Amino acid sequence: MLRRRLLDRLDVPTIAAALALAAVGMTAIASATSQQPGRAGLWKTQLAWLGIASLAAVVVIAVDYHIWAEFSLSLHGVTVALLVAVLLFGKEVGGNRSWLAVGPVTFQPSEFAKWTTCLAIAAFLAKRVHDRIRFVQALQLGAIIGVPMLLIAKQPDFGTALTFVPIALAAVLLGGLRWRVVALAMCLVALLAPVGWRHLKPYQKERILTVVDPGRDPSGIGYQVRQSKIAVGSGRLTGKGLFKGTQTRLNFLPAQHTDFVLAVIAEELGFIGAAGVLALFYYLLYRGLLAARSSQDRLGTYLSLLAVSWLTGQAAINIGMVLGLMPTIGVPLPFLSYGGTALISVMCGIGLIANVRGRRFVN
Amino acid sequence: MDYRERWELKEYQSEQRLGTRAALLHAVIVIVLAGFLGVFWYLQIVKGDEFALLAENNRLRRIALPPTRGVVLDRWDEVLASTRPALNLVLVREGLTDAEGQLKRLERLLGIPYDGLNARLQAMRRRPTFEPLVIKEDVQLADIAKVEARREWFPSVEVEQTALRDYPDGPAVAHAVGYVGEVNESQLAKIADGSLQQGDIVGKTGIEREYDEVLRGRRGWKLQTVNSLGRPLGSSQPGRDPVDGDPLRLTIDKRLQRKLVESLADEVGSGIFMNPNTGEVLALASTPGYDPNVFTAPVSRTTWTALISDPRHPLNDRAISSFYAPGSTFKVLMTIAGLETGAITPQTTVFCSGSAMIYNRKFMCWKKGGHGTVDVHRALVQSCNVFYYLLGRKIGIDAISKYAKMFGIGELSGIDIPGESRGNPPSVEWKQRIHKEPWYPGDTISVSIGQGLLAVTPVQMATMISAVANGGSLVRPHLARDARLESAKLPVSSGTLALIRDALADVVEEGTATRAQLGPIRVAGKTGTAQVFKKSVGVDADKQPKDERDHAWFIGYAPAEHPEIAFAIVIEHGGHGGTTAAPVARKVLEVFFQDRLPHKDAVPALEASLTARPEIRSATTPTAR
Repeated sequence: MLRRRLLDRLDVPTIAAALALAAVGMTAIASATSQQPGRAGLWKTQLAWLGIASLAAVVVIAVDYHIWAEFSLSLHGVTVALLVAVLLFGKEVGGNRSWLAVGPVTFQPSEFAKWTTCLAIAAFLAKRVHDRIRFVQALQLGAIIGVPMLLIAKQPDFGTALTFVPIALAAVLLGGLRWRVVALAMCLVALLAPVGWRHLKPYQKERILTVVDPGRDPSGIGYQVRQSKIAVGSGRLTGKGLFKGTQTRLNFLPAQHTDFVLAVIAEELGFIGAAGVLALFYYLLYRGLLAARSSQDRLGTYLSLLAVSWLTGQAAINIGMVLGLMPTIGVPLPFLSYGGTALISVMCGIGLIANVRGRRFVN
Repeated sequence: MDYRERWELKEYQSEQRLGTRAALLHAVIVIVLAGFLGVFWYLQIVKGDEFALLAENNRLRRIALPPTRGVVLDRWDEVLASTRPALNLVLVREGLTDAEGQLKRLERLLGIPYDGLNARLQAMRRRPTFEPLVIKEDVQLADIAKVEARREWFPSVEVEQTALRDYPDGPAVAHAVGYVGEVNESQLAKIADGSLQQGDIVGKTGIEREYDEVLRGRRGWKLQTVNSLGRPLGSSQPGRDPVDGDPLRLTIDKRLQRKLVESLADEVGSGIFMNPNTGEVLALASTPGYDPNVFTAPVSRTTWTALISDPRHPLNDRAISSFYAPGSTFKVLMTIAGLETGAITPQTTVFCSGSAMIYNRKFMCWKKGGHGTVDVHRALVQSCNVFYYLLGRKIGIDAISKYAKMFGIGELSGIDIPGESRGNPPSVEWKQRIHKEPWYPGDTISVSIGQGLLAVTPVQMATMISAVANGGSLVRPHLARDARLESAKLPVSSGTLALIRDALADVVEEGTATRAQLGPIRVAGKTGTAQVFKKSVGVDADKQPKDERDHAWFIGYAPAEHPEIAFAIVIEHGGHGGTTAAPVARKVLEVFFQDRLPHKDAVPALEASLTARPEIRSATTPTAR
């Protein structure tokens, strides 16, 4: 009976939108890597990952979200333990110790941390008695978000750590923090910013300064931003055609199949392609909001809204980077960028939304 | 399902409040996505064409197609400078394995030091790998064969073709033709029309520089698709074909040029031979010379330092840029000035006792016993100083100045080689400007015999003596065959010139320059000795230390009756002009007149006896005196 209801209530539009985005991403990955030795078949790997991610999403949808919430803190605890393990035994890739190897499989616990964080916050907010966040609760929330975030920043993977910021903001907004506290926190951040600036590595400072002044060092740090903007801009209205982007194929564009995959789409499919991706994202996020509104309880609402916030924030950071509005920072575009763990993670996020949507009140 | 009820029990927050917050989130999403859409619109639609151009510029690189530099020919179309293909040995850095082994084997096989090569290889580490390391430029075929025979030792060594400027006669043409090299910053800045770019080969000195625009040609280009590393991919699009440089025909006669350099031998000096009627330069040399071929490939530091620090300054073109006191050769001009101003007539005589008291100072003649009574002809032939002391005192510095200037002394001759000097004109104004001193009457006396405050370049003297030879026209010396002929008729009477020419012929016949005699061809000329400050006084010139000896001059022309060739020769520290400079002139003139001279060999070579030479000899001999 449960199985039948699940099939009846499966949130097909949401899942379809997610799969559509993933399909666009795979096309772009295929185009971006077709000229790169040893990477030509990467889109197939991504397809395999999509299969695994879909399976994971099915598991997420199949289990009632109340049960997920019940075990949220345990799950979150396991993730935090994995993050600690990463720091101790992790595999270093490109200067970042963010990978954990289990047999032949390597994965990034930091990607799962986003999912468990959303789950844990939603459970925490739904469970409390008061409507507003109090001091103790603020500390508890801070621990839920801050611990994985700091562990990830320690890897050091500032890009992934940064994606926790929109989740935290959403938690505060949805949880109902007093404006006075918000103002106080902002003052604190403003005061601590110069201290943090001093702790940044020189290349990170360069990246931030490049956003302010794109002409800065056009062959160095500014190079990636500049080449990305050239790729996007030269796509014009209809693009250069799939597999015909010169910026992409001649390697001017950095990290074409991962962080800058949207630039590939914008170059080869033009404004129409870019607008299409934005539209798909909007539709997906709108479905999330819809799930929140029609949820049978607050837990469902919180879960959906947090998942929406996470995906929105991560997408915004990535697109902002591609368009040169944000510092160059390694954040994948949800569903589109190449990367198995990230895909599983966001599909599980979509799973939460579909889960809530599928268990809404039916009149 | 008790777990569900437990969650429902906690539903006491107003739905509305959460709804407002959800709406706020929705608004944020809409604003952010709409903002991104706007930026995409701006980049792709508003600025799209601009970025499309940038992408094209990224993708397509202009590859310069260098033109072939024009060939430089002598007057008989013999090659003085050309461009030849050359082979470079290069190390391909893509997929390079065992660099150390390959370089070490190269050291053993060809003797190219491993350390230097390895240092250069390390220095290239940041360069794109498709740029090869040039192991050796202009490598000999024998060396290439050695490498090719051991192909399996050198998987990454390849042969690359380039073009090099080639001067087949090397040092013999160095100062006339000049040399080429990579354009430098100042030249790039000067020529701002984009016809030059970094790495272009341009003329650095001599004819190569003067006629660089003719010889250089015009660079072409093609459009090549490249990747982000600049590596060429696929085919290229045609752009503009290069236009090769035009050939440049010179008036130089390679035979004379070679002979002149050979005759100057190890002396420091210079010589210039020209057609006195047209100004066509037949030979121009300065010694010591250098091999212009060393500049074609990037010059090694040691070669350059050696050339720069050589105390004899081999890079200087002494024929046009070094100036010396003209010594007695200046008496030619003094005679003209004296006759033209009317201060003397052909009949004027002076008694030379070996010295003369002028302005309470004793001025010596070079002949201790004196020349006795001399007229102007004898004074010029015997180079009597006393005659010219008195003449100088009579006409004064202004008249000397006027005639010197008229004949191009202290003026640029206008020869088409860069770097010409003006020398020091003999003038009151000049002394005041440079030395900040007034002109003393004694200065005039020194100038009268070509010493003192007076310095001339060999090319100026060649131009001056050409004017005497051609009947009074100042011609512009030039090396390019189609250069504009320039000549200015000077206001000098033919009688004056006839007297001088008669005397100059006698100088060779019986005077100070008998060593320039050339059998049936009558040579006219004047020797000169430019005084050099010396510590040893009263010692015979030939016994003085070399660097204290006077500079030797010989200027003149031939044949004396109908001059076809004029010349000026300076040998630094050569002592007497008649001893060292005159023989150089004779050797070159021998080549110039070889068809009209009797064969020197007592037993003519077989081929010579088969030619028409005997007839020529019999035909020309009667015209000789």
